[in-house]
Amino acid sequence: MSLRSPLGKVLGAGAAKEGAHHWWAQRISAVGLVLLAPWFLLSLIALGDLSYVNVHDWVASPVHTVLLSLLVLALTYHAFLGLQVVIEDYVANKGIRLLVLLVIKFTLLVLGVLGVISVLRIAFMGNH
Amino acid sequence: MSAYEFVDHSYDVVVVGAGGAGLRATFGLANSGLSVACVTKVFPTRSHTVAAQGGISAALGNMGQDDWRWHMYDTIKGSDWLGDQDAIEFMCKEAPAAILELEHYGLPFSRTEEGKIYQRPFGGMTTQYGTGPAAQRTCAAADRTGHAMLHTLYQQALKHEAQFFIEYFAVDLIMENGECRGVVAVDMATGKIHRFRAHMVVLATGGYGRAYFSCTSAHTCTGDGGGMVLRAGLPMQDMEFVQFHPTGIYGSGCLITEGARGEGGILRNSKGEAFMERYAPSAKNLASRDVVSRAMTIEIREGRGVGAEQDHIFLHLEHLGAKVLQEKLPGISETAKIFAGVDVTKQPIPVLPTVHYNMGGIPTNIHGEVVTLKDGNPDSVVPGLMAVGEAACVSVHGANRLGSNSLLDLVIFGREAARHCAEVVKPGRRHKPLAADAGDLAISRIDRYRNAKGELKTSKIRLDMQRVMQNHAAVFRTGESLQEGVDKLDKVIDSFGSVNVSDRGLVWNTDLIETLELDNLLGQAAATISSALNRKESRGAHAREDFPNRDDANWMKHTLSWVDARGKVSLDTRPVHMYTLTDDVEVVPPKARVY
Amino acid sequence: MAQFSLPANSVVNPNGNVHKAPAGSKDVRSFRIYRFDPESTDKPRIDTYEVDMGSCGPMVLDALIKIKNEIDPSLTFRRSCREGICGSCAMNIDGVNTLACIKASAEIKGTVKIYPLPHMPVIKDLVPDLTNFYAQYASVKPWLQTRTPAPPDQERLQSKEDQEKIDRPSACILCACCSTSCPSYWWNSDKYLGPAALLAAYRWIIDTRDEATGERLDELEDPFRLYRCHTIMNCAEACPKDLNPARAIAEIKRKIAERKQ
Repeated sequence: MSLRSPLGKVLGAGAAKEGAHHWWAQRISAVGLVLLAPWFLLSLIALGDLSYVNVHDWVASPVHTVLLSLLVLALTYHAFLGLQVVIEDYVANKGIRLLVLLVIKFTLLVLGVLGVISVLRIAFMGNH
Repeated sequence: MSAYEFVDHSYDVVVVGAGGAGLRATFGLANSGLSVACVTKVFPTRSHTVAAQGGISAALGNMGQDDWRWHMYDTIKGSDWLGDQDAIEFMCKEAPAAILELEHYGLPFSRTEEGKIYQRPFGGMTTQYGTGPAAQRTCAAADRTGHAMLHTLYQQALKHEAQFFIEYFAVDLIMENGECRGVVAVDMATGKIHRFRAHMVVLATGGYGRAYFSCTSAHTCTGDGGGMVLRAGLPMQDMEFVQFHPTGIYGSGCLITEGARGEGGILRNSKGEAFMERYAPSAKNLASRDVVSRAMTIEIREGRGVGAEQDHIFLHLEHLGAKVLQEKLPGISETAKIFAGVDVTKQPIPVLPTVHYNMGGIPTNIHGEVVTLKDGNPDSVVPGLMAVGEAACVSVHGANRLGSNSLLDLVIFGREAARHCAEVVKPGRRHKPLAADAGDLAISRIDRYRNAKGELKTSKIRLDMQRVMQNHAAVFRTGESLQEGVDKLDKVIDSFGSVNVSDRGLVWNTDLIETLELDNLLGQAAATISSALNRKESRGAHAREDFPNRDDANWMKHTLSWVDARGKVSLDTRPVHMYTLTDDVEVVPPKARVY
Repeated sequence: MAQFSLPANSVVNPNGNVHKAPAGSKDVRSFRIYRFDPESTDKPRIDTYEVDMGSCGPMVLDALIKIKNEIDPSLTFRRSCREGICGSCAMNIDGVNTLACIKASAEIKGTVKIYPLPHMPVIKDLVPDLTNFYAQYASVKPWLQTRTPAPPDQERLQSKEDQEKIDRPSACILCACCSTSCPSYWWNSDKYLGPAALLAAYRWIIDTRDEATGERLDELEDPFRLYRCHTIMNCAEACPKDLNPARAIAEIKRKIAERKQ
C-alpha cells in the first residue's frame, strides 16, 4: 500500500521531456512508407518477370538501391517505434517491458542492417 | 453511543461548503497564513454555483456609463427596501475590484470589441438612479458564468494548496455557551465521524431550494448550514422571501437565464401578446424577477397561459437569430433542446416561475459574522461563527434579489469573511479543550437516523413537505392558505418521527445523508411558511393577496425565526439598516417600486 | 503484462435481486444496475428494477431517483444539478459514458443497463473513486500563470477571437466521461494524464493571458503523460458537453513539435 499523496503519485518523477521526437519520427517514417511501399509494389508489378536475375538487376540500379534501402530503414524504424508504443501500452511490468523492448529493438536492428547490407551487396557486388 | 469514535482535527478556520462563497473564503484564508480546512459534501466543482448562467454584476462601465451608486440604488429598489443599505453599499462599491480580481485569476469572461469584459443587461439594472436606460452591468462568460467562476475559484484553491475534506457531510455545529467551537462531519467514503475544532467556522452551505417541489436548485441544495444553525438555537432571517425565477423550464424546472431576456428574449402569452409591457411599461421583460413572476402567474390565472393545460408561458428567442444564440446563449440553447425538446432558433421555450433563490438565511453583519437578537441587541455577534453566500442573509437582497447579484454576493462576502478572519484570528492560536459532550448532538442524530425503523421512507416525507411548500408558500400567498400550510407542515414534521432508513451501512450511505438533509430542510420550511404567515404586507417576493401593499410603517424590518426540535417556530424582528457605511453615498429612502 | 484476469471479487453476479413493477403499471421498463456493497463479502451483482415509466421523468437520472425513492433507498449514486453542468452523475449507460441527467431513457432500446464509469475503483454501486482523476487535473496547474503584473484597475485585455479559443475548452465539467472511455487511459491511468486533464492543460496553453506556455508544454512532453493518446477519439465521442479533447491533445502535440522547428 502506498501512502503517497494522489498528486505526488501523478507528478511522479516529472516529465521525461521527450516523446516529441518519437511522435514526429513515427509520422515522418509513416510518410516515407506511404510513398515508398506503393513505389516498391508497383515497380515489382511493372517488372513483370520476377526471376532472380531480373530482380537482381532492378535492385542494382542506383536509384532503386537508394530507394529500397530507405524503404527497409523506414519500415524497420517505423515498426520499431510502433511496437515500442504497443509494448509500453500493454506491458505494465517494468522488467519484462525492458526485456521485450530490447529483444524487439535488437531484432529490428538486425533485420534493418541485414536488409540494407543485402541491397548494398547486390548493388556493389554486381555479379549474379 | 460508544460505537462511534471521533477523528479529531484542529484548524484556525473551517469552511463548510465549497461553492462560490466557500471557495473564495477558503483560498483567501489559505493565502492569509491561517490554517484552513474546507469541508464539502460534493467535489467543489459540483457545487450549485456551477449552474449560475447569466453573470455577475459590477459597475465596470465597459459597455456604457455606469456608477456603483446606481448599482446600489437598483439593488435597494430590487430589495423593496428590506436590504441593509450599509451592506449593499459595501457590495456594490467593492464589486468592480472583485470582478477584476476574478479576471486576473483567469476567469474566461466573454469580451467586448476592445477586449474588455463583456457585460449584458439584466432585470432591474438601470442607470441614473432608475431614470436612465437599462444598464449593461452583468459580466458574463457566455451563459455559463457560474461554471466559469466556480472552476476559476477551485483552481485558485488548488494554487493556494488549500486543504479540502471532500464528500464529508457536515452534521452539526459544536456549540459551547453560545460560542461555536467547531463542526462535526461524516466522511461519506468511510462513514467515520470527524470532529473539526476551529476558532472560526464559516458556513457557506447554500440555499434550501429543495424544500419546494419545483425548483431550479440542485438536489444538493438542502440548506445544511441553516439546519445546523437552527439546531444550535440560533435564528434564521427573512425566510419568507423565496425568489421564483420567471423562466424555469416547464416540467423539469431547469433554469433559463434571465440573460436570455437581457439579450432580447420576450415572454408571450397564449394570444402572442408581450404582456410584460402592461405590467412594467418601462423595464418590460427586464423588470425585477418578483414582478415578472407575478405577471406570468396572473396571465396564467386569467386563462392566457399556453399549452394544453394553459398552465405556462412562452419565452421567445427565435428573433435573436442563430448567431447571437450560438455566441451568447449556447448553454441554454442546449438545455432547451434537452429538457423541452425545443430548437430555440425556431420555437419558443415553455417556462414557468420556479423556486430559485432564498433571500433569507443566517443573519450576519457585513463581515460575515453571524448575529442574533440577544438581550435586546439585534446585532449581537455569535462568537466563532460566520456565514456567507446564499446560506447567509447579510442582507443585501432584502425581499427580492436582482439577477447577477448572487454571484457578486458570493465573491464579495466570501472575500470579506477571509479578510475579517485574518484580522480576528491569530494563526496557530491554541485551542481550548472541547467540552466532554462536544459532538454528541451530531452523533445522537446520526445514530437515530441510521437505525430509524419507522414506516415512512425519507423520500415520502420529503415529497409531502415539498408539496405543502409548493401549494401554500408560492408566488401569491393568502393568510388562509398559509395557515393551512403551517398546519399541514406540522403534520409532516411530526411524521418525520416515523422515518425509515433502510440502508444500514457506513460507506456512502446516501439514504442516511438524504435523511439528515431532510431534517435540515424541514426546519427551514417551517421557518419559511411561519414567517410568511406572520408578515402581513406584500414586499418583494412575498406577495400577500390579503395584504397587497407594502407597509413600511409596520413591516420595514427583518423577520427572525427560531425553530425548536419539534418544529415549533418562534418569531421576532431586527431593524433594517437604513444607513450607509460611509459618506460616499446617501441613504435611498423608500418609495413606490415601479419598473 | 496487462492483467487480463479479474480479481476474484470483481466477477459480477448477473442474477441479482429483481424488483418487479407494481401490478397495473402500464409502460414498464427494466433497468439493470450494477450493485456493489463494500461492506459485504458478496460479489458485485446486477439488480433488475422494473420501473413504471408513466410516473417517471424522462431522463435516466429520473429513473434512478425514482428507484431510490420508491423501490430501493440503498441504491447509491452521485447527483446534483440534474441539468448537465455539475458533472456528478457520470456513469456508463447502455454501454456509453454519459451524464444520467441528460440521457433520456427513451433514447435507449430495450433494457437500460447502468454501470459505474469503466476502469475506475468502485466505492459503492455507481460511485467510482475519482481521486486519481482529480489529482491529474491538479497536476497540470490549471490556473493562470503570469509574470507581468495585472493592471491595477483594469482587466487583462483579450480579443474576442482569442477568447473564443478558450471558450469551449474551458466549458469542461470534469465529469470524467472522456478519460474513462479511453482505452489508453484504462491501461495507463497511473501515468497517462487522460483527455480531461490534457484538455484542461490545453485551455491554459492557448489562453493569451497566460505566460507559462513553455513550462506547460515542458511538463507535458513525456511519452506517458501526453503521448499515450493514440487518437482513438473515444473521448470526443463520449463528451456529454460536445467538447473535443482529442483535438486539444493533437494541438498540444503540434505545439510541442512546432517549437522545435
